[in-house]
Parts: sequence; structure tokens; C-alpha cells
Amino acid sequence: MSAKILIVDDAAFMRMMIKDILSKNGFDVVGEAANGEEAVEKYKELSPDLVTMDITMPEKDGIAALKDIKKINPAAKVIMCSAMGQQAMVIDAIQAGAKDFIVKPFQADRVLEAINKALG
Amino acid sequence: MSDPIRNITDFQLDVLREISNIGAGNAATALSKLLNNPVDMKVSRVLPLHFNDIIEYVGGAENIVATVFLRIQGDIAGSMFFVINTEVAKRLIEDMLGTLEADDFSEMGFSVLQEIGNILSGSYLTALSDFTGLDLQPSVPSLAIDMAGALLGDGLMEIGRSGDYAILIDAEISIRKLVQQIIVQNGGGHFFLLPDPDSFEKLFTALGVQNHGSS
Repeated sequence: MSAKILIVDDAAFMRMMIKDILSKNGFDVVGEAANGEEAVEKYKELSPDLVTMDITMPEKDGIAALKDIKKINPAAKVIMCSAMGQQAMVIDAIQAGAKDFIVKPFQADRVLEAINKALG
Repeated sequence: MSDPIRNITDFQLDVLREISNIGAGNAATALSKLLNNPVDMKVSRVLPLHFNDIIEYVGGAENIVATVFLRIQGDIAGSMFFVINTEVAKRLIEDMLGTLEADDFSEMGFSVLQEIGNILSGSYLTALSDFTGLDLQPSVPSLAIDMAGALLGDGLMEIGRSGDYAILIDAEISIRKLVQQIIVQNGGGHFFLLPDPDSFEKLFTALGVQNHGSS
């Protein structure tokens, strides 16, 4: 059975891009969220196998959403996907339990590699 | 003739916002390496503005700011500004040089700002180019410290030639170390990207969203 993925990004275009990459490679995109608040709601509702999470978003940012999701399910698999690739941000995310950190702009291969590794 | 700016859909505005997030996010990363301090970024704003309102948005024509300006050429054309308040600029110089700046900027201080401008605009444009697959050639960035009206006027002239409205793409960054003291009241630094009106179509085509409606 193909893995269920939740895509979180405030830009509809970026969600479309990631969804396109994942759908073409056999993943099942079960939901999308446009901010951290929505991400936590959708996580509860859909219980995805993996979440791709933007960081800079309105309402609640991706790091805060990651922490909330980890409270709901400590085994949750979340991959951060942000243009803010600075070390402090990466360390923050990894310490909060993120599986990987993809810096935008990204190549499709990098996204697939991170997801396959996290699910593996 | 149709106005390229009025026809832009909400979905396309969202694309422009993401372009700005990616460009400024990469620039913030470069700046944080340079300063060895975390740099925060706000969600970008994309605003269709009347020509005259752009300078007002930046803080008024007579507001003294340090501005790094460059023209983008290549597959698309546009102007880019990195604008910071002079007090913030002095803080940046002090961080880099470890010496206090006097009322007037020193030659070395000026050079620090120039280099910061080069690094920031370079990383912004590299990210934008990687994202879109477009060839983007920056002109040599020029640094000036003057009233916002004088500095932005030149860059805005290109846009004024082809219409009354421009789309201002604004990303605000702030250096965490400065937050308690200065950045908050002065609003930090801003990246402004102003694509020339006829560049939007090429930009959207490059990203495959030229026909995306808003509804």
C-alpha cells in the first residue's frame, strides 16, 4: 500500500509542486494544509504516514506545528521543507523531532530521497 | 493592449509570494552565516501598488535609508532593493568590524554594507534562478545612503515607463540579536523585488502557471 502523505505549505503553488512529485512516484497525498494550525488539525484527522512541513507560515509556523504533532504522536514522521536553511533553524527542527530538512529551492530527487529514507 | 498586472490571478500572486519566501529565506541563511547570528524572516507580502505609493510604503520619501540596488537582466528583467534603516546598518557594521560607527559612515563601514548587499542579493537571485530555471544576471549592486525617495526613484523609473502600477514583492528579515534594541521599532531590513511588468508572463510560463485562474 502506498504511503499516506500530508503536505503543509502556505503557498498553493508549492503544495502543487510537491504533490505532483509525490503522486508521480506512487505516494498517496491524503491532505494539504496552508498553515501550522491547519496542519495539526489535519494530522489528527488523517493520521498520515509522513508530513512535509514548511516553516515560514502565517498563524502558526512549521516548527511550532512540528512540536504539536510530536505531542500527538511521538513517532510522527515530519520532514521540514523551507528556504530558511540556516544552521540554528535546522538544529531547532531536528531537536524538535524532524526526520530531515530540505532547503528550497529543491530538486525532485532530493524530496524523494528524504521521504524514502524517513519511511524506510 | 491588456495590462499584464491587472490580469494577474490570486494563484499567481501566491506564486510570487513563494518566490519571495525562497529568495529571502536563502539570503537570510547567507546573512546568518556571515553574522553568526540567527536571522528571522516574516511571511512575504505581495502588493500591487501605484507607483507613487511604493516610496510611501518604504517609509516615506524623506526617510534616510541604506539601499543596495541592482537591476536583473537575462530571461526576465526587474529591479531589486535591499533596504535597511541607517541605525540597523550601523549595528550590522559594528557586528562585523567590532568598532563603533560615527555619525557618518566610515569607508570600511560602507564596504561592509556593500559586501552584505552583494551576498544577500546574490543568494536571493541564485535561489530564484534555481527555482525558475531562468537565467538571471544581476548588475553590480550599488550601495547608497540617502533619502528613500531619491534612492528608489531611479529603480522605479523603469517601471514608470510602462505603467502606473507595479507589483512590489516584499520580504522582511530581522537579526535576532538586534531585536530588543533596534530592529523592532525600525522594521528590520526589507527585500523588494520589482519585476518589470512584461516579465511576469515569462516568470509564470517558466513555472508552468501561466494559465492558472484564481477561482
